[in-house]
Amino acid sequence: MYELIGLSGPQIVFYIFSSMLVISALMVITVRNPVRAALFLVLAFFSASAIWLLLEAEFLAITLVLVYVGAVMVLFLFVVMMLDINMVPLQEGFTRYLPLGLAIAVIIVFELSLVLGPENFGLEKFAAPAAHTADYSNTKAIGSILYTDYVYPFEVAAVILLVAIIAAIALTFRRRVGTKTQKPEEQVAVRREDRVRLVKMKAEKR
Amino acid sequence: MENTYLGLVLAPLAGAIIAGLFGKQVGRAGAHWVTILGVGISFILSVLVFKHHVFDGGATYNETVYTWMVSDGITFQIGFLVDQLTALMICVVTFVSLMVHIYTIGYMHDDPGYQRFFSYIALFTFSMLMLVMSNNFMQLFFGWEAVGLVSYLLIGFWFKKDTAIYANLKAFLVNRVGDFGFLLGIAAVLMYFGSLNYADVFALAPSLKDSTVEVFPGTEWSLMTMVCILLFIGAMGKSAQVPLHVWLPDSMEGPTPISALIHAATMVTAGVFMVARMSPLYEYSETALGFVMVIGAITAFFMGLVGIVQNDIKRVVAYSTLSQLGYMMVAAGASAYAAAIFHLMTHAFFKALLFLAAGSVIIAMHHKQDIREMGGLKKYMPITYWTSLFGSLALIGFPGTSGFFSKDAIIEAVHASSVPGADIAYWAVLLGVFITALYSFRMFFLVFHGKERMDHHTKEHLHETPWVVTGPLMLLAIPSLIIGYLTVESVLFGDYFKDAIFVLPEHNVLAKIGENYTSEIGFVLHGMMAPPFWLAMGGLFTAWFIYMKKPEIADNIKNNMQWIYKLLDKKYFADEFNEAFFAGGSRGIGRLLWRNGDIRIIDGLMVNGSANSIGWLSSVVRHVQTGYLYHYAFVMIVGLMLLLGWHLF
Amino acid sequence: MNFDYTQLIPLLPEITVLTMACLVLVVDVYKTSKDSNLTYYLTQLTLVMAAILTIALPATETNRVFNGMFVADSMSDLLKLFIYIVSFMVFVYSREYLRAREMYRGEYFVLGLFGILGMMIMVSAHNLLMVYLGLELLSLCLYAMVAMQRNVVTVSEAAMKYFVLGALASGMLLYGMSLLYGATGTLDIVEMSNKLSTGDLSSSLIMITGMVFLITGLGFKLGAVPFHMWVPDVYHGAPTSVTLYIGAAPKIAAFALVMRLLVEGLGSMQAQWQDILIIMTVLSLFVGNVIAIAQTNIKRMLAYSTISHVAYLLLGIIAGTQSGYVASMFYVIVYAIMSMAAFGMILFLSRAGFEADSLDDLKGLNERSPWYAFMMLIVMFSMAGVPPLLGFWAKLAVLKAVVEVDLVWLAVTAVAFSIIGAFYYLRVVKLMYFDKAEDTNDFIAGPDMRFFLSANALAILGLGIFPGGLLSLCASALGM
Repeated sequence: MYELIGLSGPQIVFYIFSSMLVISALMVITVRNPVRAALFLVLAFFSASAIWLLLEAEFLAITLVLVYVGAVMVLFLFVVMMLDINMVPLQEGFTRYLPLGLAIAVIIVFELSLVLGPENFGLEKFAAPAAHTADYSNTKAIGSILYTDYVYPFEVAAVILLVAIIAAIALTFRRRVGTKTQKPEEQVAVRREDRVRLVKMKAEKR
Repeated sequence: MENTYLGLVLAPLAGAIIAGLFGKQVGRAGAHWVTILGVGISFILSVLVFKHHVFDGGATYNETVYTWMVSDGITFQIGFLVDQLTALMICVVTFVSLMVHIYTIGYMHDDPGYQRFFSYIALFTFSMLMLVMSNNFMQLFFGWEAVGLVSYLLIGFWFKKDTAIYANLKAFLVNRVGDFGFLLGIAAVLMYFGSLNYADVFALAPSLKDSTVEVFPGTEWSLMTMVCILLFIGAMGKSAQVPLHVWLPDSMEGPTPISALIHAATMVTAGVFMVARMSPLYEYSETALGFVMVIGAITAFFMGLVGIVQNDIKRVVAYSTLSQLGYMMVAAGASAYAAAIFHLMTHAFFKALLFLAAGSVIIAMHHKQDIREMGGLKKYMPITYWTSLFGSLALIGFPGTSGFFSKDAIIEAVHASSVPGADIAYWAVLLGVFITALYSFRMFFLVFHGKERMDHHTKEHLHETPWVVTGPLMLLAIPSLIIGYLTVESVLFGDYFKDAIFVLPEHNVLAKIGENYTSEIGFVLHGMMAPPFWLAMGGLFTAWFIYMKKPEIADNIKNNMQWIYKLLDKKYFADEFNEAFFAGGSRGIGRLLWRNGDIRIIDGLMVNGSANSIGWLSSVVRHVQTGYLYHYAFVMIVGLMLLLGWHLF
Repeated sequence: MNFDYTQLIPLLPEITVLTMACLVLVVDVYKTSKDSNLTYYLTQLTLVMAAILTIALPATETNRVFNGMFVADSMSDLLKLFIYIVSFMVFVYSREYLRAREMYRGEYFVLGLFGILGMMIMVSAHNLLMVYLGLELLSLCLYAMVAMQRNVVTVSEAAMKYFVLGALASGMLLYGMSLLYGATGTLDIVEMSNKLSTGDLSSSLIMITGMVFLITGLGFKLGAVPFHMWVPDVYHGAPTSVTLYIGAAPKIAAFALVMRLLVEGLGSMQAQWQDILIIMTVLSLFVGNVIAIAQTNIKRMLAYSTISHVAYLLLGIIAGTQSGYVASMFYVIVYAIMSMAAFGMILFLSRAGFEADSLDDLKGLNERSPWYAFMMLIVMFSMAGVPPLLGFWAKLAVLKAVVEVDLVWLAVTAVAFSIIGAFYYLRVVKLMYFDKAEDTNDFIAGPDMRFFLSANALAILGLGIFPGGLLSLCASALGM
């Protein structure tokens, strides 16, 4: 193991990614441009997944990138770009409340640092988990307990997703009167009689 | 048996609810049928219960039916204690109640409040049963207050009559005084005995008989005496003992059936029943027994005297009730609880009979109640006449009638008693016999014999009342005559009550009398030779002589002894005194407190002041709720921060 | 590893509700007529079935399945039963109201059922993970139900506030859970309590911080000050039928969470959570009772009344004794019954295009209908704690519990605030009986609603005269 200013290699990696995570999270809420904020959120997700990799949670790390970065955030960006949010009114009063907000934030950070400091969560307080052998599959481990020990929460989580779908549809779906949409099944099923009318006319007398 | 007891109690309640809440739907006939059915069921079940406990030797039932709540280790329960005493009481109550229900059909025939009336009397039956069947003080108090409430409602039944409203308010207020003592008594029981259950309290009584309490610094009172006298104050209110008797004569403003049921036969005897039920407590306090006896004796004698000068037919009977209640209390004070209950029972029959007969007369007289305007009704109303005669004979204690056995036993018991005050009480009850006979037959003669003094119109319409009225009269006349003969041996001298009544050996006057007892006939023969009989006969004769033979004597006495007449006519000025002193005094204090305390301090400063300041506070604080989402989130976060800080620093 | 199918038995009510909810969803899509009551009846049938199953499979002893994630005990049985009863009534009361507002759609009932499932999961959760999942399931349904009448401005506003603040509270709760996990290394409530009972872990800073975050989340669910800000706005803004839904059954579930987390899980930290709850209680008493006076909207007034009721509910928990928990449980059930009747009355008075949510709408109710004025009188008196109504016994029980642990000052404070609170309940009575009616339209409610509403109010009276049964039911549910 490499030692650098008293830190081992994984520790250095951890600190790099965690500071990236904190900074990008801060940027998400401070930058003015919503597109940039979304991009910083992507960065935050990346950093988090890197930290998970350090914990040997490869599957979760990859999923985070695939699902959140790949799907959710892209969708999110589309929405943000389409909406064209005017940020000026939203930031009114920001400076007015800033000192108070900052003071509260400082106090909370201070309070939490008392608790989360090294005397409670220091490295020496917790033994590092034994490293796994090379053929250990994190994915397999998750799979084997997710459908056995954790089947109940898994099912409930599925129900939550179902409810989310129902809720989303119930809240957004509305049948507008008079909208002009294509109805392919009707277009395909159309017959000649419906569209063409043959009219027999006598020839006009001259 | 539990279901039987429950059914017994709840049947009248069901009737009351149906007649009261759905009076319009069930109609007049429906109302009386449903309540009579309820009380009838109750009566039949009572007889079954009586048979079970008395003839089949059923064990005393003492169970909790429902635990209402538990607070601080004290359980408040609804429970039944059914023993021989209870069995006797429920039979009397349901029988008289049933009679009165039937009688009411005739008496209230044209009254617009027909359904309401039936609902009330059925409700009364329920309350009274709850009272007598209770196995704890709380339920006793419930029954006590419930019968008081129904009594209040019924006295003021004709609520458009000012006098009725005045009378029911008076009954209510006077009873409040008594109930205050009663409540204090129950509180004292709870405080020193730690339970409200009869069985627990009675079991503790012997061990607490010598304990004293210091209510005011420097005074040592015997616990038992204090508890007993406080409870007795309740009984004084309910059973109308001097000086809390003033409400009972006025209660005659109510319809006659309830005067018979509530203000003669049942509710007013609740005090006597209570003292008998509490015999395990009273036995340990001679002071309290003496107190009970003296109060009873005063009531028995002086209220009888007032009865002589009354002219309202119902009031005469009312004063006679007061006097008889005094007799019962005297018996209880002499530790002859059995005699007290025995007299309670016989009195319930013959006094209900007398009241209903009076009511029958009132119906015939088109609701005129002044006996000076009656006379010679004998030939118009034979059934009423004969039943009244039987009732009056029972009341004066004519040998062989039920009243004779009970009254004679009381007089003998007081004679044998050694409780302080017994000698005064003896003379009071003895002379009371003369007075009883005098006023009873004065009324009897004035109503049924002599000149027909009513006006022409009334006279034309005089006729016997319908069968629903005379039927109950006859049914009540039977026990008035014979129940004493049938039961005297087992109730007074036998072991009828077994453990239901507790008497210390040194107080057991009935046992002393019982040594000379041979048989019912012997008792009658002995009674014929004893002073009470001759006093009664003397009273009867005097009444006949003064009011029938030489009516001018009555006027002479009245004119020559003006001050006594005035004293009696004004009922010893008790009402005037109460009105001036208590009512006037409390109004004065009330006005003072109202002006200074209420308007200035409470209304001005405290109520309006606090209301205004809270209102102001409210209107200020509500602005915290701004409606801005970020304010809300901010409040939450600050809250979190402070709560965290609370523990971290 | 073989799956032990018998462990599904205690879950049968949950499985039934889930299956039926899905069935209702599908049936609703294929039903022909728009106004058909099929969905409604199926929903009510589901609740009846669940109730029958819960009664038929009583937990005679604490039964933990799925590695202790699901627990069935007598407490969960009783609370679930009341959740069914309350929800049943909620649907009955809502029917006419929803129909009049074109919300009588399958989604309302489906979401309602899923919400009930969420509550059931919360009540039976014995693992922090399940606590969170149950809570989220319920919350999600609530957010969506609030927002359903989306073309009304106040509704969207209420939904937005509820959602954002709810997410914040969820975050705090989750953070607290992660801290607890960090300190104890377990998510299981029983294991956590075992770990805490040995050693000095219960006074460690991590545990305390985790606990504070946890209480924040719970406080939000209950609506205790200072996490109450959503309550008035959401109660006011949401359609009344949804307010009724939010106000009644979820409080029972939230009480279960408090019991599971604070009492069963962090029981040995009682000294620590006690003072936090006391602070929250006193603040809630103040805010709930004082601000309610200034309200003119009855839904808003009842929202503040809820806040004060939550304070009373917490009193029993604060006592930290078995009888205190019983008192709290009694209180929450009583509260659910009372608030059901109160909001039910608003629904009863409303009709298409008219929301009877202003205090003025109650004016002269006695002239319009003496019977329903009397019902409302019972409800208001009960909420004010007038004997012998049910609300009185509930207040008495919690106050007694607090006095027993020598927190007399707290009891005195609670009583003093309840006197202030009595003002606004009595004002409603005054409006009903002594003022002239402004609205003279007839009531549109159907016979089922009339029947259940009357039964509801009369139950408050009846159970108030005989409170012993319900109290002993609560006591036996907590093993007393």
